[in-house]
Amino acid sequence: MEAANYQAIYWVILLPLLGALFQTLVGKAMVQRSPGLGKLVSGGVAVGTVLAGFGIGLFHHLRLINDPGSVKAATITYFDWINLAQLHIPVELRFDALSSTMVLVITGIGGLIHIYATRYMAEDKDFTRFFAYLNLFVAMMLILVLGNNLALLFVGWEGVGVCSYLLIGFWHKDLANSRAANKAFITNRIGDVGLALGMFWLVALIGGNREVLGLTDARWLSYDVLIPAASQLLSQFPHETFWISLLLFVGAMGKSAQFPLYVWLPDAMAGPTPVSALIHAATMVTSGVVLLNRVSEIIALSPAAMSIIAGVGAITALLGAIMAWGQTDIKKVLAYSTVSQLGYMFIACGVGVFYAGMFHVVTHAFFKALLFLGSGSVIYAMAHNQDMRNYGGLGKKLKITYVIMGIGYLALAGLPFAFSGFWSKEAILGPAVNDTATLPLVGGLTVGAVAGWVGFLVAFMTAFYMTRMMCLTFGGKTERWREIEPAHHDDHGHDHGHAHGHAHDDDHGHEMDPAFFMTEEEAHAAAGHDDHHHHDLDKTHEPKEVPWLMWAPLIPMAIASFGLIGVWMYGDVWKAPHPHPFEGFLHSAEVVTAKNGKVEGGSALAPRNLEDHGDDHGKEEKKEKGVDTNTLVLVSALTFAGGVGLGLALYGRRLPASEGFDLSKWNPIQKAAGKQLYLDSALSGGSSKGVMGLASAFKVFDKGVIDGLLVEGPPKVVRAVGGLLTTLQSGFVRGYAALMQIGIIALVAYFAYVVSQRGGQ
Amino acid sequence: MILPIATIVQQVPLGAFLGLGLTLFIMGGVGVLIRRNPVVVFMCIELMLNSVNLILLSFARYLPSGGAGESPMNSAVSGQMMVIFVMAIAAAEVAVGLGIIMAIFRSRNEVDIDDMSLLKS
Repeated sequence: MEAANYQAIYWVILLPLLGALFQTLVGKAMVQRSPGLGKLVSGGVAVGTVLAGFGIGLFHHLRLINDPGSVKAATITYFDWINLAQLHIPVELRFDALSSTMVLVITGIGGLIHIYATRYMAEDKDFTRFFAYLNLFVAMMLILVLGNNLALLFVGWEGVGVCSYLLIGFWHKDLANSRAANKAFITNRIGDVGLALGMFWLVALIGGNREVLGLTDARWLSYDVLIPAASQLLSQFPHETFWISLLLFVGAMGKSAQFPLYVWLPDAMAGPTPVSALIHAATMVTSGVVLLNRVSEIIALSPAAMSIIAGVGAITALLGAIMAWGQTDIKKVLAYSTVSQLGYMFIACGVGVFYAGMFHVVTHAFFKALLFLGSGSVIYAMAHNQDMRNYGGLGKKLKITYVIMGIGYLALAGLPFAFSGFWSKEAILGPAVNDTATLPLVGGLTVGAVAGWVGFLVAFMTAFYMTRMMCLTFGGKTERWREIEPAHHDDHGHDHGHAHGHAHDDDHGHEMDPAFFMTEEEAHAAAGHDDHHHHDLDKTHEPKEVPWLMWAPLIPMAIASFGLIGVWMYGDVWKAPHPHPFEGFLHSAEVVTAKNGKVEGGSALAPRNLEDHGDDHGKEEKKEKGVDTNTLVLVSALTFAGGVGLGLALYGRRLPASEGFDLSKWNPIQKAAGKQLYLDSALSGGSSKGVMGLASAFKVFDKGVIDGLLVEGPPKVVRAVGGLLTTLQSGFVRGYAALMQIGIIALVAYFAYVVSQRGGQ
Repeated sequence: MILPIATIVQQVPLGAFLGLGLTLFIMGGVGVLIRRNPVVVFMCIELMLNSVNLILLSFARYLPSGGAGESPMNSAVSGQMMVIFVMAIAAAEVAVGLGIIMAIFRSRNEVDIDDMSLLKS
């Protein structure tokens, strides 16, 4: 691998960064001077930088595929960042299959979303601010995936966290949005602490054992040095491996919205829809999977950590699917669906098929971004009302959006063979149900295998709730918004189900501790509800198809959602010989060297020993005890058909009365699902109450010990002594005289004593 | 037999002088403490000073007279000189003190030492 061939890859990062700078320094002034032309130019620059990045990325990606070298990974060093005697951290990028795939996903989908956003945000007065954040986000995400050491990864990691915060709270005048942004940021901090601790531990272990390992390279935080060294060292320390893996996984949990840190993701829907599509479906939330892929060699050393990852993934997938079923907000359905799909990715990582996790990241990025943008189009057409109970029969009005979203729907629901979602889901669930590497759980099944079967259940539920969403939005003949009563501005009307009046029907059911954020009254007073609404949805509304700039970008995503593309790109999953073609691509370094039989101390970034894990690629000995491929396909097809069938039966014609605006008619399970099974209020409320309790304990300590003893103590002592001394200075002349006399007597007595001791000398 | 006074004095032992001086000193000290009229207090202070003078003179009397070649610091002269100093200072002190008392009396029409507890008038 000639690193020089990939030298120019830094432009991928630099261009969006310059774009963000342009938006803030030049774009804003331009838009102020002439809004029409200014928005055209600054929108063009925003789109252009990302698409140019895609071009550069694609060029290098093709060069990487066609590279004759055996190890398909290039390390490109630019300049020194931290240079200590023992530790050298340069700014260097790693261009390999993993990062180049992510670069294409980020810039490709990101570019399309930028195009969409130029139209979606056209009427917003903070147009340039939005694109500054969006460009900055793309740059940070690229630093995260391209950086070749943990320090750079952390820079990107925090960078995307900040951008996510800024974008969720983009309409910050609405207090609910600011709250959602705070929640996302704070929840992510928990994960970041885990990541930081894991990194520190790793650094301490490697740094302390440099001589044992014979590391001569001071650059030992870079992946190509760190990962082999760590896997060599950690195989002797099972406990440390477990904890380090777990801490790194906690980091991934935060960003990738795993249970119980998923609570921020549904609230993050407060941001503009393009943000939801880009950050909270396609890119940022996948960074946890990217991280686990990067450190896969370390994590794979600990079966316990792997079991926890698979288990958490399964719980997340299941909870997300249940909660998606109870939502009435179209974006919330997709948000929980994202949580659920992220769970799949972690099941994959947990059972050791890291490549399948990445495969699902890629396919999911396309169809979920597509679905989000499609829902954005629906929301746009429906006067920014997000409540599905007000939709219905939109299939005839928004034909293009309907077809495009239909493709995304089938991909997510997993129509067998035809759509990409099916392939990536199978790539995960096949190895998962045959898993033997994780810890045993029940009935001879390992955690991974149980997670795999839970995955099939979730696949059924996914088909079901997505059918529900599609039917409620596009299906049926009743145009339910025509039944809306004239909006009355009763801010607490949500409880009674009259949510029509508000474009951002945020979940007022969140019982956040009022002391932690603000009371509802203050929130409404501060919100300024008429800031970014155009007009409310009412019975006279006529939905129109969205402008072409808002559906054209979805076409490439729709095409990419077809399974045929996936098959063309990655080959036939079943017929191809082991390994999976995507695995072969993603971990080309290891696979190639392993095939040539010359693995030398573990090359850069490859997963190890994947053959141990179950697979569905037709290995004879596995077939006997494992579940074979044909059965799995059958199960998948059945789950799909069952889910879709049930959904159509329940929601095909109309909105069931039991899911209308009157919440009292809802069945309790679904109602609970709609409210996150009360987990959010329990977790957020509980943790904020816990923190409040802790804080009041600290307050006692602070008031008592710090303030009372250390700060106010010395003055008190001085004052007391002074008070004692002032009684001497009474102004009472005879008192002074008495004191003088006593003093004189004492002095004389002392001298007399001294003189007598000396014998009169 | 009538003895000259100097001879009689010489027969009085040192202890008697010291005892008288101590008695006068204590009387003066107690007087300073218990009397509230500043004039009487002054008199008591004078009494204390004079008792000290008496003690100084008695010691001077019993010290060697100090011949040639001896330091005057070790001779009787030093005690007698000290008495002169004390008397001069006492005179000056009385002059100042009585002036202050007169000034206070003019502004307040009474002189009780316990009422003079403020530095401002």
